[in-house]
Amino acid sequence: MIKNLKIMKRILTIPSLILVAAVAILPSCKKEIGSLNSPIIEDYTNASKAQLNNLVSGTESGMRNNYAMYLDVVGLIGREMYRFSQADPRYLSDLLGGGSAVLNNNTFYLTNPWASRYRVVKNCNVLIGAATSSQLLTDAERKGYLGFAKTIKAYQLLLNLNLTYTNGIRIQVEDPENLGPIVGYNESLTAIAALLDEAKSDFNGASITFPLSSGFTGFKDAAGLLKFNRALAARVAVYRQQWAAALTALNESFLDLNGDLNNGVKHVFGTGSGDQLNAAFFAQNENGEVRLAHPSYATNIIAGDDRINKATLRNAPASSSGLSSNRDVWVYTSPTAPVPMIRNEELILIYAEAKIQTNVLGDAVTAINRIRSSHNLTPYAGAVTQNALIDEMLYHRRYSLFFEGHRWVDMRRYNRLNQLPIDRVGDDVWDKFPLPLTEQ
Amino acid sequence: MRQILQRVALLFLVTALPAYIYAQVTVSGTVTDASNAPVIGATIKVKNSNIGTATDANGKFTLTLPGRGGTLEISSIGFRTQTIEVSSNNSDLVIKMQEDVGRLDEVVVTGLATSVKRRNLANAVATISSKQLTGMAPAQTFDAALNGKIPGAYINANSGAPGGGLSIKLRGVTSVFGNTQPLFVVDGVFVDNTPTPAGLNSVTAAAAAGNASNQDNPSSRIADLRAEDIENIEILKGASAAAIYGSKAAAGVVLITTKRGRQGKTKLSFSQDLGFVKVRKLLGARPLTSKIVTDQGWDVNEYNAAVAAGKIYDYEKELYGQTGLTRNSILSLTGGTDKTSVYLSLAQKDEEGIVKRTGYRSNSIRVNVDHRINDNIKVGITTNYINSSADRGLTQNDNAGVTFGVALSSTPSFTELHPDANGNYPRNKYGASNPIETRDLVTNNEAVSRFVTGINLDALLQRSDRSNTRLVARGGIDFYSLKTNAQFPSSLQFQTVNKGTSVQGFTRNLNSNYILSLVNNFIASDKLNFTTSAGITQESGNYDNLLNVATQVIFGQSNVDQAGALTATQFRTKFQDDGIFVQEEVSIIDAITVTGGVRFDKSTNNGDPDKYYAYPKAGLSVNLTRMDFWKGTFFDNLKLRGAYGQAGNFPAFGSKFTTFPIFNIDGLPGSLVGIQRGSPNIAAERTSELEAGIDFSILNSRLNFEVSFYNKKIKDFLLLRTVPASSGFSQQWVNAGDLRNRGVEISLNAMPISQRNFRWSSTTNFWMNRSKVTRLSIPPVVLGAFGNTLGTFKIEEGKTATQIVGIDGTNGVVKLGDAEPKFQMNFFNEITFLQNFSLRFLLHWKHKGDNINLSELLTDLGGTSPDFDADKDGNGKADGLDRIGALGTTARVFVQDAGYLRLREIGLYYTVPKLPVSFIKGIRVGVSANNYWTKTKYKNYDPEVSNFGTGFSTNVDVMPFPASKRATFHVMVDF
Repeated sequence: MIKNLKIMKRILTIPSLILVAAVAILPSCKKEIGSLNSPIIEDYTNASKAQLNNLVSGTESGMRNNYAMYLDVVGLIGREMYRFSQADPRYLSDLLGGGSAVLNNNTFYLTNPWASRYRVVKNCNVLIGAATSSQLLTDAERKGYLGFAKTIKAYQLLLNLNLTYTNGIRIQVEDPENLGPIVGYNESLTAIAALLDEAKSDFNGASITFPLSSGFTGFKDAAGLLKFNRALAARVAVYRQQWAAALTALNESFLDLNGDLNNGVKHVFGTGSGDQLNAAFFAQNENGEVRLAHPSYATNIIAGDDRINKATLRNAPASSSGLSSNRDVWVYTSPTAPVPMIRNEELILIYAEAKIQTNVLGDAVTAINRIRSSHNLTPYAGAVTQNALIDEMLYHRRYSLFFEGHRWVDMRRYNRLNQLPIDRVGDDVWDKFPLPLTEQ
Repeated sequence: MRQILQRVALLFLVTALPAYIYAQVTVSGTVTDASNAPVIGATIKVKNSNIGTATDANGKFTLTLPGRGGTLEISSIGFRTQTIEVSSNNSDLVIKMQEDVGRLDEVVVTGLATSVKRRNLANAVATISSKQLTGMAPAQTFDAALNGKIPGAYINANSGAPGGGLSIKLRGVTSVFGNTQPLFVVDGVFVDNTPTPAGLNSVTAAAAAGNASNQDNPSSRIADLRAEDIENIEILKGASAAAIYGSKAAAGVVLITTKRGRQGKTKLSFSQDLGFVKVRKLLGARPLTSKIVTDQGWDVNEYNAAVAAGKIYDYEKELYGQTGLTRNSILSLTGGTDKTSVYLSLAQKDEEGIVKRTGYRSNSIRVNVDHRINDNIKVGITTNYINSSADRGLTQNDNAGVTFGVALSSTPSFTELHPDANGNYPRNKYGASNPIETRDLVTNNEAVSRFVTGINLDALLQRSDRSNTRLVARGGIDFYSLKTNAQFPSSLQFQTVNKGTSVQGFTRNLNSNYILSLVNNFIASDKLNFTTSAGITQESGNYDNLLNVATQVIFGQSNVDQAGALTATQFRTKFQDDGIFVQEEVSIIDAITVTGGVRFDKSTNNGDPDKYYAYPKAGLSVNLTRMDFWKGTFFDNLKLRGAYGQAGNFPAFGSKFTTFPIFNIDGLPGSLVGIQRGSPNIAAERTSELEAGIDFSILNSRLNFEVSFYNKKIKDFLLLRTVPASSGFSQQWVNAGDLRNRGVEISLNAMPISQRNFRWSSTTNFWMNRSKVTRLSIPPVVLGAFGNTLGTFKIEEGKTATQIVGIDGTNGVVKLGDAEPKFQMNFFNEITFLQNFSLRFLLHWKHKGDNINLSELLTDLGGTSPDFDADKDGNGKADGLDRIGALGTTARVFVQDAGYLRLREIGLYYTVPKLPVSFIKGIRVGVSANNYWTKTKYKNYDPEVSNFGTGFSTNVDVMPFPASKRATFHVMVDF
């Protein structure tokens, strides 16, 4: 027994001695290695102006993520164009409703653009939070950051609402633990309009101390950003069929009936480090990975309309999965060509639309003729009735804003999705995307 | 009082020793195997002493014993240990060794510094000898040489690209998003196995659409090891055996021991392999008619002209049909004195691939030195420098139509892709790239320079007649620098936007680790033996990857500054893990072994870096045949065993942070919130495993069975859950649920025939695993492939972890298959005949287990599937159209049985009996074939495939680099 005790003692003492030694020589505890690769969210407590400016540029940069894919899916469903991809068949099956294929709620064409837009919304919310709590800003500077963040947030929410339509979107997304409810189409539009109005009052008396890209040339100060904000408000107003509100907003925007049609705010691209190229650009006459104008683009265009140049003839037609076209989409003609967020040509057409709807047809015709003459067409000679002018206005929206993400939304607004061409037996024209799986 | 006595005794011993030495006994003799062939390198040791020697190339030895003789213990790997009493000088001892068919005398590790003979082991530890590893039909890389040889493992080659890339899963999936690959430890050094992508995504845009994960086809860094340097591999398959490795051991541990020098004459060996490699299988081209060409929308005039000119090509064969030459040379030297021994090897390998301009080269030098400083202190140093280079071609998934397979899938056989007389490649009218041009102009190289060194110190601190205490210190560093270089010249069809791309990645990685332990052996009585060990460990890693993507590259230039635009990204990870362990092993009457231990670990990757996690283990083995009461003679050995243990898996680096990656615009630096939401409370996953088994030998140990059952539970497994994207994030690490793996492993070692002129030894293994997600605290997660339309993996409570689901008509989303094989078997045989011939082969059977085959879908959509126009289902519609029609309706057609029966390795070797000159001590020649015969129903190149590399979601097939087969001629000469 005594022997056993001794054994036990020996067994117990050796490891405990080692343990004591081990604890003694263990290197002093290194608590936290840190993120190493980039800033973390905790870094934005009492943020400096330099940090807030980085958030502004990150917001601007992030708006471009998957925007080309947004243009592709909206263009495909709106039968503006085809996107052939050797590697992914779902552009031509799911999006066009080929066979029994339907829109999936967990596939890249929906989830990628959706997530990219909300990622920018999150960045805007971080910017709003950081600017609100920062002790290092004047009030005017703070208002500048807030106005910018809210305007961009509203714009990003609108793009997602365009996808899911009456399936709705989430507006309250500040707290990832407690996301707000999914809100229906009209309610969402109301919220977006309210957000734009909030930003408008922020810009009032704001001082803009942050740098913006050349895409904001002419709009870099508080007055310019306010015009951009009001242009977006006008778009939201026509979506809401609030025609008078649209005209009011246009008044404060950069609408210029006689101005440059391309004047506006753009996404710009570049080859700089960490920058992006325009993914909506494809060279002409490529094979395999191509964007083609829908054949109806050429067949429905009025003879002489110079907007045919947005769909150039190919050396040889391209076909895939029973679809074929001999014209390339040629809207963005270089990898650094800018992509508009909103520009004067759309504002003129919004003006025309609001005038038609408020039955001030003369003003509408003036605006439409402004568009027609710019595109090598004779002045409008059709019936001056609301119905005829709506057709005319939609024609111009189709060709002026080709591959800028409007056709599908416009046809849906006017309940005309059934007028879009069906290319193959069994194809479908979808009116909306399902909510992404992760939101359900 | 007792201590004083001891000291006096010691003093007496020291002073009396010189006189004592004069009494000595010298013995010499030969050690042979059952067929009287000499056993080289057998250890002859005087029992209970440090005196020993080894046999030379002729199996001969000489040994001088002090005093009046003693007991000699003769042991050699693969033979049963024998003892023989010697008491007088003897110069012609002949010791005939018995083959250890059941490998019961093999010494197997039980802890960080302890080991035990297999007959007393509580776990089923698989071992692979150097003969099994490289002695049949050597594979190109070390990782490929493991394939089919580990019972309980599911090993899958990612592709046939030169330089390897394999996924190894031991006993089922142990993690979903965490590390699924075992820990590799080489001579005590933890070696890194991180695959580093080459940044090809900037050209292929593979991650742009369906699945944002890496599809760059990187190789496994463990492939850098030279299989020829390896003496032996032990595989701790689960937590019950590996618990003492703590929180790195959840996926198992592969312990690699390299060759060491031996006391005796210096032996020089040279071995040369020459051979060739060919594609294992080609799919063929679709036979065309002008109707098919028209229906496909292809240019029928071009087709007719090509037919008239006889210019119909087989582009698949042109791309993948090259016969690559392979050569491999190894020069090794072993030798040593009673104090110092050395192993040196120099090796070079140069292999061409089955695609022009692909291949693999590797150079390696290894020096292992062992030195005995005095009777009490031994030190060993292992060093290995490796330099390898792999040209891997451009394969796998992409969204730009640029990889070989994707380009081929839409390219008909009549279009011209060959360069004209001026070397200009025509544009491929039917695809985004010309694969012939891509092959000829694109470079995708991975070059590694790696240094692994370890030190091993064993010092006897205290010795008495009952107890001894050793300090065992092991540690080392693993440093490599990896350069990836991908060149896409501006003249390429798909470089119209970027106008030449150069992607250069620079990675340096330093891992270091040490284990300091004290081991006490206490002999309480001749029936009771305690081994106590305790110690501390530390592992740290520092990975730094700098990736430069240059575009608008000056023609003919590759430097990243010779470019109009440059984007650089840097990615770093760092960790430090600290551990403390204690282990106790008790051996009772050399028949019962009881083991218990615990390890405490903390890691900087955990949400709380200062929190220690405890990983306990316990084991019991009872060898009934060694008990006094055992009377039967039917069983030569009968052991019951059970073991339990826990191990962990740390969260991935950075799991706890919400980061803001760089997103610039127009020269303005920008920060954009990352897609991963930080999890401040993330914790390690915990695996607990209970293993039980029975081992027995019968018929004079000619038949040996090992049967194991295990139940492995993974608690709080790490999952990168998808979060509502409206939060601004896409994913977040969570400890999401529990997972279970249950399985059976049966091993049969047999020596069916053992005659002088014909010996046949055979090992058959059977293993199977079944997994189940037993708890999931979040909604089911779809992951690892391209969504429900094309078939995907789904983690769902109550289902297997490896289920494949997809849409299926009106049934909605249902289970369509499972990547887990129903069972696997291997069959390893060695037949020695006519004394000097040895035939060895390994058959591997994987029964069932599904792949998601999207390669076939792409060739169907491209109209190039060889069986497009067949009508197997007799519905009057081409099968290709049927399959296309299924797209969007059902994913069933993409989920395909990927079982196979494969003759992985076969080799015939001949030992030349009569040597031409005396300085040559041995010549062996051989021929071997690797992967030469496979029986499978799977339709694409190979059932072994993984578009997403190593990790959870292997088995997705998107235009891989085709698998190859090898044939090699071997010559080995010993000097």
